[in-house]
Amino acid sequence: MFNSIADVTSGLLGQQYIASDEIATVVYLAEKMGKPILAEGPAGVGKTELSKAWAGATGRELIRLQCYEGLDESKALYEWEYAKQMLYTQLLRDKLSQIVGEAQTLGQAADRLAGEENVFFSMRFLLPRPLLRAIMSDKPVVLLIDEIDRADAEFEAFLLEILSDFQVSVPELGTLKARTQPMVVLTSNNTRELSEALKRRALYLFIDYPSLESELNIVRMRVPDLSPSVAKQCVEIVQRLRGLDLKKSPSVAETVDWAKALVAINARHLDDKTLNDTLTVILKHESDIQRARRVLSAGKARDVGVR
Amino acid sequence: MDERVVEFVSALRSNGVRVSLAESVDSLKAVEVIGVLDRDRFKNALKATLIKEPADVPVFEQIFPLYFGSGGPEMQQPQGLTKEQQEMLERALDELRQQIQELMRMLAQGQRLSDEQLREAARKSGVTRQMRGMNQQVREWLTERMLRQLGLTPEQLRDALESLMKQLKMQGMDREGRQEVSETIQQNADAMREQVSRFVGQNMLNQPSDNPRRRRIDELMNRPLSSLSDAEAEELRNHVRRLVAQLRARAALRMRRANQGNLDAKSTIRHNQRYGGVPIEIKLRRHHLKPKLTVIVDVSTSMRPVAEFLLQMVYEMQDQVSKARSFAFIDDIHDISQPFNEHRPEDAVPLVLHSIPPGHYNTDLGNSLVTFSREFLDTVDRRTTLIFVGDGRNNYNDPRADLVQMLKMRARRVVWMNPEPPYMWGQGDSDMLAYAPLCDAVHQVATLQQLADAIDDLFQHRV
Repeated sequence: MFNSIADVTSGLLGQQYIASDEIATVVYLAEKMGKPILAEGPAGVGKTELSKAWAGATGRELIRLQCYEGLDESKALYEWEYAKQMLYTQLLRDKLSQIVGEAQTLGQAADRLAGEENVFFSMRFLLPRPLLRAIMSDKPVVLLIDEIDRADAEFEAFLLEILSDFQVSVPELGTLKARTQPMVVLTSNNTRELSEALKRRALYLFIDYPSLESELNIVRMRVPDLSPSVAKQCVEIVQRLRGLDLKKSPSVAETVDWAKALVAINARHLDDKTLNDTLTVILKHESDIQRARRVLSAGKARDVGVR
Repeated sequence: MDERVVEFVSALRSNGVRVSLAESVDSLKAVEVIGVLDRDRFKNALKATLIKEPADVPVFEQIFPLYFGSGGPEMQQPQGLTKEQQEMLERALDELRQQIQELMRMLAQGQRLSDEQLREAARKSGVTRQMRGMNQQVREWLTERMLRQLGLTPEQLRDALESLMKQLKMQGMDREGRQEVSETIQQNADAMREQVSRFVGQNMLNQPSDNPRRRRIDELMNRPLSSLSDAEAEELRNHVRRLVAQLRARAALRMRRANQGNLDAKSTIRHNQRYGGVPIEIKLRRHHLKPKLTVIVDVSTSMRPVAEFLLQMVYEMQDQVSKARSFAFIDDIHDISQPFNEHRPEDAVPLVLHSIPPGHYNTDLGNSLVTFSREFLDTVDRRTTLIFVGDGRNNYNDPRADLVQMLKMRARRVVWMNPEPPYMWGQGDSDMLAYAPLCDAVHQVATLQQLADAIDDLFQHRV
C-alpha cells in the first residue's frame, strides 16, 4: 500500500516506470478512493505498463482482460465447464445409479437426483474468466481492462454494473461478492467515444507522449548500456518524428526497442548508415520511412550548410 | 475550501464542461485525500475527478488559477524602518490628498482590498454580473477600468508615489527609508492588481445554475441546418460525436435485448459433437440485427448542410451497421464509399463535399437513379435499408418514380429524409408527392434534432 504520493512515485520507479506527478497523484487517489482509473492517450505511451508497474509495486497479482470486438460476458466473466461436468457424470455413473436405484417411483428418483444438483453446479465446474477471477481473488489484485474502446458498447454497459458494486450474480450459485476490491485500470486508445456513465465513475488520466527529458530518462533507465550521447540523439530524432504528419507516430515502447537495437548492433554513434538501417524499428509504414529519411537527411544537409 | 471547490465546479459548468453531481462529490473526496498544501497535486486531483475529456482541459487550465491562484505576491509591510521613520510615514500619508490617501495607506501597510471595496469599485466601473462569456479582451478591458477606478494604474500610482515621496522628504526621511517604502508600495500594488484581475475573472465566469453553452446547443439542435452560420455549424459538428455516442448506446441496448433468436440446429449439432452429440450447449441463430445501409444523398447547394451532418452521423455509427454504402448525386450519381472506408468520418465528409463542388448543375435525381440502377444495383438487396436524402426537387426532370418503386421491391425498407416541411412538397419543381407514397417512412430533417430522431428510428426497425 502507498502512504503518500512520493511513495507511489518511488514504488513505480522501482518497477522501472517513471511516473509524472500527475500519474502518481491519480494512482494514489485511486488507491485511497477505490475508484477505477480510465487512462487515455496515444498507443504506446505506457498505459498498460502503468498497471503492470502498479501491480508490481504493491505486490498484487495483475489480471488482464484484453478487449476486442465481440467480447461477451461468457469470455469475460465465467463459463460452465460442460465437458468436465459430462466427464464427471460418466465416471460417477455407478454412484448415481446407486442414489437413484432405490427409488420407487420416477418422481422420487428425480427428487433424489435434484438433491445432488449442487455437486454439478458448484465452483468446481465454474471456469472463472478475468473479471470473476479479479472479484473472487483472496488477495487484492490489479485488474487491467485493456483497450476498452475496442469492445462493443453493450459490453461497456455490462462492465459498468460490475465496476459499480463489484459483485456478480451467477443464477445457479447466487451472488458472488468481491472479497477484496480490485484496483481497476481501464485503457483506451480513443478510437471511439466512451459512454458518459463510464467516464463519470472513473478517475480520468490522459497520458501523452513524454517530453524530451522524461523520454530520455526512460531510455536511460530501460537501456542502461546505450551511450548517453546516442541515447540523446535517438530521443531527439523520435521527438522530431512525432512532429511530422506520419501514419503512425513512434511510441515510447518503440523508442526503447530502437535503443535496444542500437545496443545490439553495438552502435557507438548514430551515423547515416546506422540510422537508415534501424529506422524500421520505430517506423512501420513504408511511406513513413521514406518521408522520415527525406526530412532527416534534409535536416542534416542544412546543419552542414550552417557549418 | 469545500465551498471554493463547489464554486469552481459551477464555473466549469457555466463554461460548458459537463460535471455531474457524483463527480463533484468525488472531487471533494479527492481533495480530502490529497490535501491542499501542494498546489500542483491539488490541481491534478481536481483534474482527474472533474475533467473527463481532453477537449475540456484548456477550460480547466484557464479557470483554475482564477479560483486557486497563488494569490499573487503576498502583501508586505516595509521592513527595517525605525520607529521614527514609521511616524514620518504616518505624517506624510496624512498630508496626502484625500483621494490617494486611503489607497497609499493600504499599500504602505500591506492591507488587501476588502470584498466590499472590490464590489464598490466594480459597481462604479461597470463590472456587473451580466458580463457573459470568457473573452480575454473584455476581461482585460474591465480590469483596466477597475484599476483606474481604484487609482492603481501605473501612471496613477507613479503620481501618487511621487507626492508621497515628496512628503517623506519634507518629513526628513533618509534615502534608504524612502527607497524601502517605495519598493514595498510597488510590490503591494502588484499584488493588489492581481487581486483585482482575479476578481474580474471570477465575476465573468461565475454564472452558476444556467449554462449558456448547453442551452445554446439545445437551441442549435432545433435550428434549421441551412440557416446556421459557419461558427454555429462548427459547434454542432463537435456536438455530433456526443450525440452519436448516445444513439449508439441506445442502439446497442436494443440489440442486447433482442439477442434471443431461433434455434440454429446446424451450429448446435456442430458445437455439441464434443459431448457425444448430447445437446448441452444450445446455439441460437443471431438475428441479422445490424442493418445494411445504402445512402443516396443530394449534395446540391441547398442540401449540403443536411447531407454533411447525415453522412457524419451514419458513419460514426458504423459499428452498429453491418455494411454501409453511400452515393452522392447532383446531376449524376457518384460512389463515395471509398473515402469513408479510408478516413475517419470527420475527415471524409469534407473530402467528399470538396470533390463534388456545388455549381450551377441541374439537380436530376431521375438521371441519377438510372445510372444507379444500371451500375450499383447490387448494393440493394433484401437486407438493405435504402435511404434517400434530398428535397425531391428535380428541376422538372423526369422523377423516374418507377425506379424508386423497383428499388423498393428489392430493398427491405426505403426511407426518405427531406428537409422541407410537408406543405412544400409538390410545389414548384418538387416531385416529393410522387416519391413519398413509395417510401416506408418519410422524415423531415431540417434540424439536427430531427436528423438524430430519424437515425434513431432507422435502428429501431430491425428484422
